[in-house]
Amino acid sequence: MEVELQINNGIAPEARFVTWSPSPCRIRVTNPSGANAPTVSVKIASVSAANGGAVGFRKGTTGAFASTLALTVPTDGTTVPFFTAGKFGQPSTNNGDVKIEARVGNTLVGSVELMVRIRKNANKLTNAERDRFVAAFAKLNNQGLGRFTDFNNMHKNPNLSQAHSAPGFLPWHRAYLLDLERELQIINPSVALPYWRFDQPAPNIFTRDFLGASDANGTVKFNNGNPLEFWKTDNTPGISRTPDFPTSQAPPNPMSEAQTLALGTQFRTFRGMEGDPHGLAHTSFGGFIQTPATAAKDPLFFLLHCNVDRLWAKWQRQNGRFDPGAATSFDERPTSKPGHRLNDTMWPWNGITSATDPTRPPTAPGGAMATSPCVGAPVPPVRVRDCIDYHGVIDAASTMGFDYDDVQL
Amino acid sequence: MMATKRKVAKKVPTRKKASTRKQTAVAPAPVHVAKDTDDVQRQLKALCDTGKPIEVRMAALQSLGAAAFSVPNFESVNADYIAALREVSTDSHEQLRRRALGILTRNKDGFAQKKLLAGLKDPTKALLPPEKALQLLGNDVHADAYAVARAIVKKPPNESAKREALRLLAADTKSAPLFEKVLGDKKEMRENRQLAASALNSLNPEKLQLQARKILKDKSDYADIKATSLTALEQFGDDAALGEDKALMQGVTRFGSSKTTAKYKQTARRFLSKYDQ
Repeated sequence: MEVELQINNGIAPEARFVTWSPSPCRIRVTNPSGANAPTVSVKIASVSAANGGAVGFRKGTTGAFASTLALTVPTDGTTVPFFTAGKFGQPSTNNGDVKIEARVGNTLVGSVELMVRIRKNANKLTNAERDRFVAAFAKLNNQGLGRFTDFNNMHKNPNLSQAHSAPGFLPWHRAYLLDLERELQIINPSVALPYWRFDQPAPNIFTRDFLGASDANGTVKFNNGNPLEFWKTDNTPGISRTPDFPTSQAPPNPMSEAQTLALGTQFRTFRGMEGDPHGLAHTSFGGFIQTPATAAKDPLFFLLHCNVDRLWAKWQRQNGRFDPGAATSFDERPTSKPGHRLNDTMWPWNGITSATDPTRPPTAPGGAMATSPCVGAPVPPVRVRDCIDYHGVIDAASTMGFDYDDVQL
Repeated sequence: MMATKRKVAKKVPTRKKASTRKQTAVAPAPVHVAKDTDDVQRQLKALCDTGKPIEVRMAALQSLGAAAFSVPNFESVNADYIAALREVSTDSHEQLRRRALGILTRNKDGFAQKKLLAGLKDPTKALLPPEKALQLLGNDVHADAYAVARAIVKKPPNESAKREALRLLAADTKSAPLFEKVLGDKKEMRENRQLAASALNSLNPEKLQLQARKILKDKSDYADIKATSLTALEQFGDDAALGEDKALMQGVTRFGSSKTTAKYKQTARRFLSKYDQ
């Protein structure tokens, strides 16, 4: 007998990635030989490699996850649904380092390798995780000719008003990061965007093997063989970055995580974090990252913003702010500029330019958001409200397919 | 709204200043981010007030930088912000000049570009060391900067200036032969060769691929340049064409089994594994 395990309801290897959020799965008998009843009892279990991820299972949309699950599966090939999710605290480090095994009695009848793909603290990545991320990022840049050019152009004048100084700051950047992360995953599906905790020392990030070490002139140096040595934006190679703090320490000015999470229980007050810690994290440096129009030229930008998004995610969990319709989850103002109201679509993923709407920028670089083989959200054209229930707490279909190593569901 | 202006001597020996920059770095003062445009105006005053301690002025600059990300309607005070930055770009404190000119050039400010170019042509007018001026001019390169950069490559005041001049020229299609020469020159600083590889990769990618193969086959070239060459082939090369180059595979095999770092060995192994070597 053989069974097929479908992760995220698919059999493609690209779909075999899970987070802390429940992923819909299916099991079916593909070879009934040896079966002598219309159904068979199959037990599925999570098997982890050393330092690998772990997953749990449940039958329906509610209830606790367990490390094993017994399922009654028809032998006629009909699928049986179940759910799997990464076990919090045990993310993967490599693709396929956790396996779901299906057994009838003691006989192995099917298995599938998958990955608990989670955004992690960049300072704590394994060398292999770091190298995969750096290689994928360099490939996306492709010496200034690659898809990264669109991401650079999205975060420039005159487009910044779509993303900054208004309530949509956090949702816009959540979409921006997700779009970039999905592009990285097209290059290497085992990559998740790491975050820079700017309220903690992160010496491992500012090394020549990772995001580079700055010299006295503010030129970032890489070891030969680090693919970022070919980094190029706007026709100029390299990165300019001058930390105002010893990189063995945290920058002194941005507020701490605890202070940020205490900014208030209403999104209206919490979004003040755009100035501090977000803005002060940017201006803890000289160089590209210090200035809005050039900040995205430095790969560090995306790790900084990943932490900003993580802080929002943590705040959402702490205060239960996942319902886009609740006044506490977003700062809805009729007077907000376009792109910053709950039901507005967000540029550039909506494709709207000033040719049809004078409030939007003249071009929409990059086109629609990259789709995911694992989840369906956000559905084009991507509205502000689509970026709030990222876990699928209110609506499972809203799950965006990312999670943080220290933010539980 | 600007506070008292104070023009400073521009004939500072900038090299000396640069070398002591770390020693003169200011201790940070508490930074509070401006919440609205009134706050911004107060911070602009503090920034330009030469009577205030430099720590306070630097804190004001950091606060203003953060406000540029977050303050609603910042565009209404942007002209004042630019004016203040221009004002302090000639301040007596080098760190403040660096930061102000950095922000200005990243915003493609013509005033700052002219000042920096003038300083490169005539060191008595220099507001910053040449390597910093070249780096900042790279934020928005114009043809007149190329001529200055070429002159600096020919007769560099220091190695950092040469490197930054090369970086600036990386956008200049006419400089492809220069980068080819730098990459192939074993006597050249290896950092410059690394930069030349990056520049050549976009100015003339086919040429870089040829050069990279040549370097990997050369038993006498340096391991770090070989690592850069291998990265160029792995990241941007034509897999099919590379797979047919037996001498290259031998060169990479030799590199991977030589007395080199574990990291380079790993890179070589990864490359060869693509071709079942």
